[in-house]
Amino acid sequence: MVLRTLESMGPQHGFGLAKRILQISEGILDLNQGTLYPALLRLEQRGWIESRWGLSEKNRKAKFYELTRTGQKQIDRETDDWQRAVALMDRFLRPAE
Amino acid sequence: MRTFWMRFRSLFRRRKLDAELSDEVRFHLEMLEDEACERGLDPHAARLAAQREFGGVDQLTETYREHRGIAAIEILRKDIVHAARGLLRSPSFTAAAVVSLALGIGANTAIFSFINTLMLRMLPVSHPEQLVTMYRVGGWGRGYGSYPLYLGVRERHDTFSGVVARSGAGPERFRASALARSESVSTEFVSGNYFSVLGVTPALGRLFYDSDNVTPHAHPVAVLSYDFWERRFGLDPAVIGKAVHVGDDIFTIVGVARHGFSGVAIDQRPDIWVPAMMTPGKIEEAGNHWVWILARRRPGVSMARIQATANDVMRRYLAEFYGNTPNPAFRQFAMEQRLEVRDARAGLSSLRDKFGKPLNVLMAAVGLVLLVTCVNVANLMLARGVARRREIALRLALGASRGRVIRQLMIESLLLGGMGCLLGLAVARLGVRALLLFLPHSAGVRMEVSPDATVLAFAAGVSLAAVAFFGLLPAWRATNLDLGSSLKTGVAPGAGRHSRYGGRNLLVAAQVALSVVLVVVAGLFARSLSELRSIDIGFHERNVLTFMLNSPSSWKPEERTHFRLRLTERLASLPGVTSVSYGMPGPYLGGMSSTGLRVPGSARTANEPAMVAMQSVGPHFFSTIGSPLLSGREFETVGASSDRKTAIVNQAFARLYFPGVADPTGRVVSFDASRPDGGEPTYIVGLARDILHDGLRAKVEPTIYVPTAQAPGMSVDPWVLVRPRVNPSTLWPLVRQAVAKASPDVTIDDPRTIRERIDDSIFLERMVASVSGFFGLLALVLAGVGLYGVLSYNVALRTNEIGVRVALGSTRGRIARQVLADGLLLVGLGVAAGLPLSFAAGRIASSLLYGIRPADAVTFATTVIVLLSAGTAAALIPARRASSIDPMLALRRE
Repeated sequence: MVLRTLESMGPQHGFGLAKRILQISEGILDLNQGTLYPALLRLEQRGWIESRWGLSEKNRKAKFYELTRTGQKQIDRETDDWQRAVALMDRFLRPAE
Repeated sequence: MRTFWMRFRSLFRRRKLDAELSDEVRFHLEMLEDEACERGLDPHAARLAAQREFGGVDQLTETYREHRGIAAIEILRKDIVHAARGLLRSPSFTAAAVVSLALGIGANTAIFSFINTLMLRMLPVSHPEQLVTMYRVGGWGRGYGSYPLYLGVRERHDTFSGVVARSGAGPERFRASALARSESVSTEFVSGNYFSVLGVTPALGRLFYDSDNVTPHAHPVAVLSYDFWERRFGLDPAVIGKAVHVGDDIFTIVGVARHGFSGVAIDQRPDIWVPAMMTPGKIEEAGNHWVWILARRRPGVSMARIQATANDVMRRYLAEFYGNTPNPAFRQFAMEQRLEVRDARAGLSSLRDKFGKPLNVLMAAVGLVLLVTCVNVANLMLARGVARRREIALRLALGASRGRVIRQLMIESLLLGGMGCLLGLAVARLGVRALLLFLPHSAGVRMEVSPDATVLAFAAGVSLAAVAFFGLLPAWRATNLDLGSSLKTGVAPGAGRHSRYGGRNLLVAAQVALSVVLVVVAGLFARSLSELRSIDIGFHERNVLTFMLNSPSSWKPEERTHFRLRLTERLASLPGVTSVSYGMPGPYLGGMSSTGLRVPGSARTANEPAMVAMQSVGPHFFSTIGSPLLSGREFETVGASSDRKTAIVNQAFARLYFPGVADPTGRVVSFDASRPDGGEPTYIVGLARDILHDGLRAKVEPTIYVPTAQAPGMSVDPWVLVRPRVNPSTLWPLVRQAVAKASPDVTIDDPRTIRERIDDSIFLERMVASVSGFFGLLALVLAGVGLYGVLSYNVALRTNEIGVRVALGSTRGRIARQVLADGLLLVGLGVAAGLPLSFAAGRIASSLLYGIRPADAVTFATTVIVLLSAGTAAALIPARRASSIDPMLALRRE
């Protein structure tokens, strides 16, 4: 989800990501926003995102995260996997032909 | 993979990453606050709302950190810092432990450095494992052979890819230019292929080729060693092409050997190499023995095959040169010679054979010392564990696993071990330098013992072993707690019960046992040394200065004689000189010289001549060395000679060839060995004591002394002897001056007093005695300190009990005596355990002992007395403390 958000939003800082995820899930995902950061760390360690320091809209110092090429490929791969899983489940769940 | 790398790097940037995270979190919180403000909350409520939305910051930080670094290493780092702080808080404990360990580790490392240099370290040449050396043994062989023998080995291309010849490195006169003064440098004569076979490259110029070693006396080229080039010429590149005087010839320097190469003998470091063909004298004579043969074997050739080749070469050589000798006794003697092949990868060393066993014994001794220090530190740690009972109980109660606490304690031990290792390396350096002081002064022996990777690895290994030994048991003991009572009182219940046979007491007894072994061994070596020193060598003037003259070989014998007389006169007229003489081979360890003679009338020489030892000496020889003749007179001053040939014999000679005769003066012997009744007679004019010319441990040999002028083939320079009435060291400069004034072309070689020669000849025994003495004392002190600590602790533990006893009427004397008895009981246990070990140790070292049996009663008895006294001394203070316990104070302490 973080990766997709970055894909669509472009480079973003932690706060922005948290807000966006909250928005998209329409309140279903109501985690503590702080739990985002360990997740971001893990993504960065895997090389799917990279970080740099910059200035926010309000000229505050913030850390921005950006999707990498490997991250892009990861999105495609996972999307692929997800769709295949959905299709498979679908076949089982559809009433018998 | 990238994950691991990022995690690894983050170990080093903890603080920075922590700051970054808190910055991020602060930003996020501020944004949430702003939003909350916009929603209409006041600043305070906004902040609370923001924090609620965000979640727990501390937990976040923990989770983040867990993912960020490598957890195991982080934990380790924390433990290490904690342990270090703990050690710093108890400086006296840490200091005592580290110093003890440093002494033990340092001692072991020092001895190992010697073993490494002498036996293990390979020569800095290419493929040293392919090198072998040929030792000439049997007959009169002492290792080196003759040039023709070397040529015989060299022909065997099937076995060897290269064979080199070298002389030993010996002192030669050297002058850097025609006007410079004469000095003495270490020179080695080598074959042309020496450097190429060994694989040594030049640092400057060129080294020798085969073509540099073809015709006798026709190749005046020289190669310098790097050290000599640095020391004497300051790395000046202009040395190439320089003409220098070495010995009697002028040589041109053609090159410098590379840095780090200093010959193939460990205890010699030549300054200059010259071609073997430049040896003065007849190089290709088979009777001239001066060549050490070194060969590089072809790959795949076994030692057995090499030995077979050597045997073959020797057989042919002996047949060619000794097969037709007229004297049958001599021929048989000569044909006994053999060529023994030895591995030469670690170079040649005359010290190695002698040094080997003593070094091993010392290694065992310092191993014991290390054990003593480990036991000492283990004791200290046990005590410390008791003191920290409460802290450890708390940790265990709070949920730490026992393994975790043990690990933390072991980290403490590792830190101690690490510090001990580092300090130990410094101690080892000092130790090595001290040991090198024992090595003989003679010019040939210049050994360098420098640490290398092997030695460092050894030190580290020993430290780890020590840590495992002294760390594990105390750690295990310290965590073996009954939590409830430990937390409450900080003292283990029922401590009184354990005090007599507890772990600490046993450790002290063990220390005593080990000390017994070390003290016994030290005693045995000390007595052995004193036995050696009290051997009667036949003369008593040990302050006599001795030196060899090195005169140009172009001098004729008359010039030499004339010079010798001039010099003797000059020296005798110096203030502080009692008398001067000279002799060849020399009064103490000058070498051996023998001759055949017949004694008319003696059954022993009826059929064939006898071989006896011979010394050619000048006038006043016996009075100069302090060995007054038993009868007769010394040789007359040269010049007042009659036509009679004279000689002096020693008691052994007289006993053998003139049995039953009290005074052999006036009797006759003959050096003309061809006829049974002798040819020209030589008259015996004096009887000398038996003098041990061949060293302290030599057997007495029948010896005949002849005047120098009479001695056949006396075209070599003798040893000069100067008997002083002042301190010898003040006389040396005057002696040198006198020699220089007598002739500027003559140098002095190997100047030492007789006392120094004797000390050098027993340097191993002196070294072993001193080292074992030092460590015996050290072990004794450590055991004493350990005993004191344990007894003090026991007294402190039983304060209540003692208070009760005093209150009930026990006298202070009885209390004190009881403490003393406890102490002596421990010592007794230790001694009982240690004595059998000492017997065994003595047996192992018995080959190094002289005149002392391994089970020497005096040594053992003295050791027991010493230990009992030390134990009593150690127990005195605790006994006094126990006896002065005030029962009122003691009973009030609960």
